[in-house]
Amino acid sequence: MSKHDNQTAPAETRASGWVIFVFFLIGLVLSMLSGWIAFPNLLYSTKEQPIDFSHQVHKEQVGDCDSCHYFRDDGSFSGAPGLDECSGCHSYQMSDDPDEEKFVNEYVGEDKEVPWHIYAEQPHNVFFSHAAHVKGAGMQCSTCHGDIGESDSLREYQENRISGYSRDIWGNSMLRLGEAEHGRRHKMNDCAQCHLEETGSKGECFQCHK
Amino acid sequence: MKIDRRCFLSLVIGGAVGTTLTPVPWKLTDDIAIWSQNWPWTPVPEDGPSKYENTVCAMCQGGCGITVRKIKQRAVKIEGMSGHPVNKGSVCPMGISSLQYLYGPSRVKSPMKRTGKRGEGKWEKISWDDAIAEVSDKLKELRNQEEPHKVACTADSDRNTVGYLFDRFLAAYGSPNFIRTPSSEDANELALYLAQGRNATVGWDIENADFILSFGVPLMDSPDSAGRMFSAYSALDEKAELVQIEPRLSDTAAQSKRWIPAKPGTEGVLALGLAHVIVKDKLYDSDFVKNYSSGFEDSEDEDGNTRKGFKSLLEDYSPASVAETTGIDKAKIITLARDFAGAGRPLAICGRPIVQGSVDEALAIHALNALVGNINKKGGMVAIPEPDYLGWSEMQRDETASKGRQQPRIDGAGTDRFPNARHLLHRLPEEINSAGDKAPLQVLLVAGGNPLYTIPDTEAAKKAFDRIPFIVSFSPFMDETAEYADLILPNHHFLERYEDIPTPRGYAKPVTGLARPVVDPQHDTMHTGDAVISIAKNMDEFIREAFPWDDYRDFLEQTFSDRWKSLEKEVYSVRKDFTPADWEDAFDTPSKKYEFYPTSRQMPPDSERDRLPACRPLEIPGDGDSKELPLLFVPYVSVRIAEGAIANPPFMTKTVDDTVIKEGEVFVEINPETAKENDLSEGDSAVLKTSSAEARVRVHLFEGIMPGLVAMPAGLGHTAFSDYISGKGENAYSLLEAVSDPASGLNTGWGSRASLSRA
Amino acid sequence: MAKKAQHTATKRYGMVIDLDKCTGCGACMVACYSENNVPFREDESDKMLSLNWIQVFKVDNQKPFPDTEVCYIPKPCMQCDGDHVGHPPCVSVCPAVATDYDQPTGIVSQISPRCFGCRYCMAACPYHARQFNWWDPVWPAEMKQYLNPDVSVRMRGVIEKCSFCYHRYQKARNKAYMEGRDEIPEDEYQTACAEACPVNAITFGDLLNDEHEVHKLSKGKNAFRLLERLNTNPKVYYTTTKDWVRRITDNYLENETPGDVEKARKAQKASH
Repeated sequence: MSKHDNQTAPAETRASGWVIFVFFLIGLVLSMLSGWIAFPNLLYSTKEQPIDFSHQVHKEQVGDCDSCHYFRDDGSFSGAPGLDECSGCHSYQMSDDPDEEKFVNEYVGEDKEVPWHIYAEQPHNVFFSHAAHVKGAGMQCSTCHGDIGESDSLREYQENRISGYSRDIWGNSMLRLGEAEHGRRHKMNDCAQCHLEETGSKGECFQCHK
Repeated sequence: MKIDRRCFLSLVIGGAVGTTLTPVPWKLTDDIAIWSQNWPWTPVPEDGPSKYENTVCAMCQGGCGITVRKIKQRAVKIEGMSGHPVNKGSVCPMGISSLQYLYGPSRVKSPMKRTGKRGEGKWEKISWDDAIAEVSDKLKELRNQEEPHKVACTADSDRNTVGYLFDRFLAAYGSPNFIRTPSSEDANELALYLAQGRNATVGWDIENADFILSFGVPLMDSPDSAGRMFSAYSALDEKAELVQIEPRLSDTAAQSKRWIPAKPGTEGVLALGLAHVIVKDKLYDSDFVKNYSSGFEDSEDEDGNTRKGFKSLLEDYSPASVAETTGIDKAKIITLARDFAGAGRPLAICGRPIVQGSVDEALAIHALNALVGNINKKGGMVAIPEPDYLGWSEMQRDETASKGRQQPRIDGAGTDRFPNARHLLHRLPEEINSAGDKAPLQVLLVAGGNPLYTIPDTEAAKKAFDRIPFIVSFSPFMDETAEYADLILPNHHFLERYEDIPTPRGYAKPVTGLARPVVDPQHDTMHTGDAVISIAKNMDEFIREAFPWDDYRDFLEQTFSDRWKSLEKEVYSVRKDFTPADWEDAFDTPSKKYEFYPTSRQMPPDSERDRLPACRPLEIPGDGDSKELPLLFVPYVSVRIAEGAIANPPFMTKTVDDTVIKEGEVFVEINPETAKENDLSEGDSAVLKTSSAEARVRVHLFEGIMPGLVAMPAGLGHTAFSDYISGKGENAYSLLEAVSDPASGLNTGWGSRASLSRA
Repeated sequence: MAKKAQHTATKRYGMVIDLDKCTGCGACMVACYSENNVPFREDESDKMLSLNWIQVFKVDNQKPFPDTEVCYIPKPCMQCDGDHVGHPPCVSVCPAVATDYDQPTGIVSQISPRCFGCRYCMAACPYHARQFNWWDPVWPAEMKQYLNPDVSVRMRGVIEKCSFCYHRYQKARNKAYMEGRDEIPEDEYQTACAEACPVNAITFGDLLNDEHEVHKLSKGKNAFRLLERLNTNPKVYYTTTKDWVRRITDNYLENETPGDVEKARKAQKASH
């Protein structure tokens, strides 16, 4: 058997310490760059809303949020209005806005629901009571949803490629630092945090999970 | 500068360290967790506004009001409709499960024409125009051959509009063969007609009775009219007493205060035994018997012969002899008779499941009610008149139609042999199979029931169906009969259609229910009423003119005329002005009295019997070879198992105990004593043999069944519908044979001689 | 923002089932399947793999014919309070906090997305109230159409059990918020099984609220609970006038009488 096996290779054939360290740094920098810059861009796909909707215009025309996003008598919340509600006014075109034209022709005309991307959409197994927050605790829409009600144009929607939900849920900041850009973040911990501050308890599992 | 393996390792380590300093691992973990909690193949029901719509359940003829919860256009839940007079909010498992049929895989999605052999399951989709034309052409051809009477039709009711349209069609076309699907109503209705002279349904005012003597009526066991029975039962006064006469401890027997197991088939004898005691002890309502009844005492007829009265008949039914026949203790019979007659509002009810029933037995039990004077009284037996709205004028008929309509019925009902009977579906196989070369039936329209499943002795029924050249099914589901048809014209599911539902069986007030569409038709189906009208419009002039309506909806609205609006809104209408007729006006018999001796009863020419309801133990097939078949097979019904035309949806099978069905095998119940005699123990696989067929079963030992009996639930063992329904258990009907009651022709084949041996 | 304490009064939702009234029809089971999107399999006669949130058992007194009697026992999740309130047997063992004791209502929650399927709770439950999804549920044809959006559909690999129709409680609360009420009247929150029972054998409500029917019924002299000696403190009570039924609800020795055993248990508990 040979005396010179792999474990005892002569020193001159080995890479020196600083070369190894440089490689370590390269790995470190590359991964940090990809983790901080490439990853967020890869994780989210940007989607345009099917129609550029102006909350501002509608607010001027029909009044407050609850004209379209209303509570039903049983206490359930209507959420984004459906075609039936929209076509109450938009059965024919009311302005020369190209988005309205698209809406009337492609959706009202075809009797097709608009596939809105909902910024605050939660998984199906989450129960959220708007009545408890708005009617019970007297909260404002904007506290959680930000100033969307004042916007003239729908901002782009970033969809998480893995979970399929909006970036707004986690928040724009990957570290979840600072104030959220649009109202509040909507992860479970965000709910629990607010509940702890406001009610003294994070709440029970069944309160939000179904 | 040397680059070696360690440099790459270092690069990887650097990368790993760097990655932990980025959000990647933490964010990915969270996202993957969310992803793994929301698999794309796990369905997410769409949310939306929730609303409730009332309608009437038509899974059976029970007429329960139901409330359907809808999310947008989807029906998601069925609940009992509170305030509905029939069921008062109660609803049975079958009604709740009916959404599994609405959206389920056993729907027939469009008209279908058979392409392969019968029953092979090869179909071709055709258009509605073609389907209607296909039936019309066939019917026209038959009429041109002057054989319109070779058409028959089965329907679930002859008192609602769809049944009426079929009957009207057959009348205009020239066939006498409208056959109502069999039920326990048949014997009751016939007995009521004979004794009281009225075409009416029997209403049992259970809600107001305080002593209910049930001769094997599956009050709490049958899915048929269960909603009403449950609400009636829970409305009963705490002191009210329910007595159940039945050889097996059924759910009704379990709820009764007294369970009296009589030998099966001897219930009528027991009724007369009770009458014997009541008469002997003079406990009967003498006002009623003396002033409003006839045939109680012996009398002389026109020819001067002495005619035996009911009282004399009862002499043969002394407690001692009845005790021997029924197996019930003599003292128990006497006490029961006295308690019954002594109660404030006693009520005796009859209507055994599975069969039409014996008319003598029904007459005997009705006579008990007459004796205690509860006819048309609160808590008594009430005659419910037929619906008053089906009063369309007679149509003009051509000669072919008149001649055809005069022909004897294919099932023999109303012929010399069975003069009193009206509908005898179970006799079809016998008549067809025994006919000569020429098939006596050319076209069968199946608009109700599922005869290939429910007619006793399925093999014989299949053989008969093979001889019918053209079978049309109107079933919304691919049931056994539809599977064997030549053409399927699928009806809407009841949640997609209008349909009037007449007073449910046994309900003691006239009420009309209206099923109305709650959801849009899910498939390319057509209302059977529309199908009949369309077929009629394709026929000759006279038939066309008998159907002047645009469509079924138009016909329905015109039929109900000024009542339509409120009926559509309320989904039911109760005849407020209805009070049961007083005894003076109640009876339309030749004597204008309640006839213990029904003078209008026609006896078959060779009958040795008298018109009096002399009861003997009911015959069953296979009685000859009691050595080889030492046991008695009796099917039973369970409210968790749909026993008739419609099969158990998965939800209902889910509720059934593992001592009833397990891994596709059905259990028969036997007494441990019987098990010992036959060397069987719990869970054993066994072969159940009857005079007509045999089946592979498993054994469940149950103390609550009379020794010598083998009980098996009816309603399992379907072979059609869908994989979710078929192939579970055995069909109890296939183990039975039809027995035509010699006195009336009605099917009384409640059981069969059987043997049970370890497989 | 004003702190407004809504619905904070502690409730203990419970059920009293009158076994003398139950006819064993199974409407409660079917209503539950329909309300709670309980899955079914192609062969529901395969009872080993069949899932139920409430199951009706048939028992008999074992006496020979014709002295036999039968009784039906509907069995949902018992919603145990546990030996110490808030510690039901299942909650204590769950390593994932997927099941928990809901303090405001006393209902034992089961959060299926959180469950990872170890089935420890199934083993811990003395009432077999918990069932495991061995397969992903499949709704054939258009049957997905009838699914209730108020209850999420479970997936393969998780435990599920009766929730006392908690979503109905949530809906009742929503309605109360809308109408500015604090209290939920008895009839506004009823479980699907209690509502469907055609003979009114199931009564549901707040055991602590003396205006609710269950409060009175649960204190009746014929009221009892299953396997009482385990000190699981279920909130599902039963009533029956039949002694033999009472006896088979726990493993009584021949010389024991249920009433005395219960008294002894209470005394022992008090002395702890």
